[in-house]
Amino acid sequence: MKIHTPPAATLVLAGLCLTCTSGAFAQSAGSLLGRISGTQISHEKSDGALTPPIFADTRATVKDDTRPTAGLTYMVNDNIAIDVPLALGFKHDIEGAGAIEGVGKIGEVKAWPVTLMVQYRFFDASSPLRPYAGIGPTYAKFYKARSTLALTSLTGGNAANPTTLSVDSKFTFTVQAGLIWQVTPRFFVDAAVMKTPLKTRTTLSTGQTLDAKLDPVSVSVGVGMKF
Amino acid sequence: MVRIHHIAIAWVAAATLAACGGGGSDTTPRTEVTQLKVMGDSLADVGTFGIKFTLQGADIYPERIAQSYGLSKGCNFYRFTGQTFAANPTPGCLNFAIGGGVINGASSNLNAADPRIISVQLATAVAAGNHRPGDLLLIVGGGNDAAALVTAYLRAGQPAPAGDGGAAYAALLGTQLSAAQVGAAVSGGANGLATAGGQYMTALANTFFDQIKAQALDKGAQRVALLNMPGITNTPRFQAVLAGIGAAAGSAARTQSEALFKGWVEAFNKQLATRASGNSAVALVDFYTSFNDQVANPAQYALTNVTVPACPVTGVGADRLPTYTFPTCSAATLGAAVPPTGAVGAGWWESWAFSDGFHPTPYGHQLLAQLISRTLAQAGWL
Repeated sequence: MKIHTPPAATLVLAGLCLTCTSGAFAQSAGSLLGRISGTQISHEKSDGALTPPIFADTRATVKDDTRPTAGLTYMVNDNIAIDVPLALGFKHDIEGAGAIEGVGKIGEVKAWPVTLMVQYRFFDASSPLRPYAGIGPTYAKFYKARSTLALTSLTGGNAANPTTLSVDSKFTFTVQAGLIWQVTPRFFVDAAVMKTPLKTRTTLSTGQTLDAKLDPVSVSVGVGMKF
Repeated sequence: MVRIHHIAIAWVAAATLAACGGGGSDTTPRTEVTQLKVMGDSLADVGTFGIKFTLQGADIYPERIAQSYGLSKGCNFYRFTGQTFAANPTPGCLNFAIGGGVINGASSNLNAADPRIISVQLATAVAAGNHRPGDLLLIVGGGNDAAALVTAYLRAGQPAPAGDGGAAYAALLGTQLSAAQVGAAVSGGANGLATAGGQYMTALANTFFDQIKAQALDKGAQRVALLNMPGITNTPRFQAVLAGIGAAAGSAARTQSEALFKGWVEAFNKQLATRASGNSAVALVDFYTSFNDQVANPAQYALTNVTVPACPVTGVGADRLPTYTFPTCSAATLGAAVPPTGAVGAGWWESWAFSDGFHPTPYGHQLLAQLISRTLAQAGWL
């Protein structure tokens, strides 16, 4: 079977691909599947407090974010798949909590989860409904952290001398449970929940640090097709 | 393997796009503040007497708040001429605070027009026109009033000639309380006098809020950050007074006096909170709780000394308490002098709470500015 080799940008938008070939069963060995999804990442309530000097029990809450995402799956055999979720970066607002509850947004950070999943898809390749479980390494990249004037003023800075923050990126892993519904021989619906154990440290330019257990939970629902 | 190659390309493409935009710091306040107006006492005075009531050359909290909003630090509206308070010829100065500022002018025997009375400062600020929507008012008061009340109360219990049998205290009570209340206090003995102090402070809070309402809230002010009264018993000066009580009358008497004075300050703050409650134009800054916390948990605020003033003692006052000389106290003079006992490292005063017996160091001012910022942010004004 010959397959087309469209450029990367087309692959990201695989759901719109109209010129691809199709096979007998969508999820059989050797299939390449693409999908576009909506993914929400939410976090556990932070369990850490900012280190002194600051009001005792100064905490932060990382807010949810929802973004369009995509993904590519390669079926190694009829049951085992290698899956690469593709995302353009999530932007999470960080709000004050604990002693600074009510001050509102104190910053934002972009998060780019880089994950490679190995999945086991239950039932045979022709089943219309295939639950699956996955596990794989994740690199949680945090970047472009941006403070607000509230954080700056709470830490003794001012407009001319703002406080900035950085969030450590971390290697971790992700576990996943999902379900594929094969609507037609080519098109399917994919829903999955992923959990990523993640502890990371946020450091302010004024020296204080915040160790937070974020443990993000991602919920992803999308449509896909076989190339 | 062609497929794996596609995955790699897509991944790199996503990574490249993911790296766009953001970072750094957003220094735009949520609410535009175009002017900061300050009324109060020595804590907020940026130079009426040509000095600040802390280490010279350092920023105090109103200057820090102004800079938070990207405004200039501000300057003193009044200038002490040696005899009286004149308007500062520099235009655009909107910090009306004066060292020695009080809510109740009678407590310091000031005449009704003396600008050390905070209501006079408030009235002066609107003499040429109402406050505008972009104005933020920062008001602090009551510390000197509490000190005057405690001083008068202590005189009552002392033997002559310092003691006056309660005449000054009763007179001061009478400036806020009815004749019947004062009469009941005097005839009530020690308990009556102690209880009346709390009543006085409650009445004083009402007076203060009435002044703010009449001269600020009813004159266009939409954003008033109002500091409550700090626990003056935490200051080295009052700790020395309390130590004197302990030496003369025993530790139980000391503990009792400290609790009484704290109760008075709390009575003021409770009433001020009641009056400010529900008013969206007033953000009440809980200076009292924060200052207590700094003294009780200094390490949390990176404070290493919350009992000894950083500036050197330069004399002894009529009250036999040490005096300090702010004009000759600065980071430069402290750095050049032999450090006091317990001082560690260069810039040791940067982790001390008090500059003299009653006033914060620049770092104490920073902590106060951070507290005010929290309240401003919670009000949605920062």
